[in-house]
Amino acid sequence: MTALPITLLDKSPLGVAVRIARIDWDAMSDDEGRRLREFGLMEGCEVTPRHRGSIFSRDPLALTIGRMQVIIRSRQAAAIEVEAIPREAGAA
Amino acid sequence: MTNAIPSIALVGNPNAGKSSLFNALTGARQKIANYPGVTVERKAGHTSLADGRPIALIDLPGTYSLTPASLDEAVTRDVILGKQEGEARPDALIVVLDAANLDNHLCFALELLALGLPTVVALNMLDLAERDGLTLDPERLSRELGVPVVPTVAVRKRGLTELLVAVDDAIRTHQPREALAAPANDASLHQRARALAKAAIVTETPVRRWTQRVDTVALHPVGGLILLVALMFVMFQAVFSWATPFADALEAAVGVAQTWVVESFASNFLRDLVVEGLLAGVGAVVVFLPQILILFLFILLLEASGYMARAAFLMDGLMGKVGLSGRGFIPLLSSFACAVPGIMATRAIPDEKDRLTTILIAPLMTCSARMPVYTLIISAFIPARSVGGSPIGLQGLVLFCLFLSGIVGALLVALLLRRSVTKGNATGFMMEMPRYQWPRATDIVIALWQRAWIFLRRAGTIIAATTVILWLLLSFPKAPADSPLSQVEYSVGGRIASGLELLVKPIGFNHDIAVALIPAMAAREVAVSAMATANAIDAGDDEEKMSQQLGSTLQGKWSLATALAFLAWFVFAPQCISTIAITRRETNGWKWPMFMVGYLFLLAYAAAGITYWTAVAFGLG
Repeated sequence: MTALPITLLDKSPLGVAVRIARIDWDAMSDDEGRRLREFGLMEGCEVTPRHRGSIFSRDPLALTIGRMQVIIRSRQAAAIEVEAIPREAGAA
Repeated sequence: MTNAIPSIALVGNPNAGKSSLFNALTGARQKIANYPGVTVERKAGHTSLADGRPIALIDLPGTYSLTPASLDEAVTRDVILGKQEGEARPDALIVVLDAANLDNHLCFALELLALGLPTVVALNMLDLAERDGLTLDPERLSRELGVPVVPTVAVRKRGLTELLVAVDDAIRTHQPREALAAPANDASLHQRARALAKAAIVTETPVRRWTQRVDTVALHPVGGLILLVALMFVMFQAVFSWATPFADALEAAVGVAQTWVVESFASNFLRDLVVEGLLAGVGAVVVFLPQILILFLFILLLEASGYMARAAFLMDGLMGKVGLSGRGFIPLLSSFACAVPGIMATRAIPDEKDRLTTILIAPLMTCSARMPVYTLIISAFIPARSVGGSPIGLQGLVLFCLFLSGIVGALLVALLLRRSVTKGNATGFMMEMPRYQWPRATDIVIALWQRAWIFLRRAGTIIAATTVILWLLLSFPKAPADSPLSQVEYSVGGRIASGLELLVKPIGFNHDIAVALIPAMAAREVAVSAMATANAIDAGDDEEKMSQQLGSTLQGKWSLATALAFLAWFVFAPQCISTIAITRRETNGWKWPMFMVGYLFLLAYAAAGITYWTAVAFGLG
């Protein structure tokens, strides 16, 4: 696990599933953190970044988590560290 | 069980299809009101069990948990816990789950089950889950949860009878118990939910869901925006072109009614009041019902299909630049129909400063009450021809520009406000994007009917009352036969308007407009009914003048520059008592509504002035 490269979710390429390694809950308000958890964004979960902003800006970021699509801002995505999913696990 | 009618609350996550289920259960037998003290809509209705016993249903705002993030989510919690003022604790809960999103929706369901109320789970939108390649086992889920699980497809009315039977049984066989302790933390709750979902899913065929395919276009950084602008453009063109035959028919009906009253009764005070005041005034507003309904139809379709969240996604970047968030897009788009529900919809914005700014700019969105004013003036002064041989109508284009001025004005105001009076941190933006689905015709019809009813009630109350008062003010005292002034100019109302005229003369406004502006404080569309009433009074018994439409009368009296200035005024002017009242309620005081009224009148004056002076400089005066 530790050998896998860790990046931030806001820099993560679109269309590639990643696993959430760590979330810096202090970088956001309590409400924001709780809403993230209610969406199911927690350590250990798999997410796929799908779409990013319009021509106006790179914000926001749309991602798939489980069977849901949610929108968050880049600022929140920047508080989420993600790691690549090992091939065999990624096929599941 | 008591003798009282049992009340059952529908509760669940946003996008679980709760409202469709509520509509399917209650049909048109529902009532929308507000919870006392808060502006959260309370949707209540009733239905009956197979043996005819009635039950009451309430549809609670969708939420993710019992810890609220916004005002409407707080209402859901308070009703369920029996703490909401004016609402008894429900006798049972129907927990609505999206069958295709169990891992997420079961979290809230588990939290609700722990409360110990009689509960039935509706496994909703089962057809969409099957479309996504899921096969579910409701019995297994029922065993795991310990409550009945009824598969439903609200859209096709499938499972509704079974659902009501299960609720009835649940209430009868319920053993009261203490609420269990809420699950320790989010992570364990989610783990349990995921395990349950896994158990309930029999097979899962991976299919590329067409929601994702549509989104590659709809959320494309460039293509998506083009699509959004195109949709908005079609919407505003449709408002004009589709409504015409219906509006003409309504107008003809008002004319027939006027003629009938004139011919059937002798000329007296009451007849004049009905013909010149009520029929001319209220009739002039009611003819805009088709346009308002078409606008609402589009907004409802965008909402029900799931596109609205995509629009919010696309607009967030732009709105973020002026210190708002994509969340604000939905309240602002609703404000195109009416600022009152728009301002109420800002409750979903968690950040206080963001919310306040959105409230303050909501009246700049072109609401349906402006349609009567815009339509009247545009039809009278802008030729109904296409632009340079293209299929785009010039009238529709002018209307589009008026809408656009409001939007651009709103963005600029937001930018200024966020740097001054509503300064604060950049706000977050988090929302769920529902799957696309076909809007259900019945849901749309019910919602449209509710909007039409609200509009007609307004026409019958506020607008009728202001029109009658205005008629009295404009009819007395009677002008002597040798007076050089017309009846309207001679009357009390006309003299008040002459005072105001001095103030608005520099921006090209005439006495007609001054007469219309004062009562239009009640509601913008009253400007039209006021002019219609004044027109009818001046026409007196002159049949020919009487039958002349308001538009053509104005055409003879106003210059194009005046007409354009009048349009520009209404882009900004805060002429709506309801909006001011709702702003006071939503911001808890008079400070912000007063601020709003002040800045909007200043902008209106400036915009009308600049428009008028520019038009005159181009020789249109």
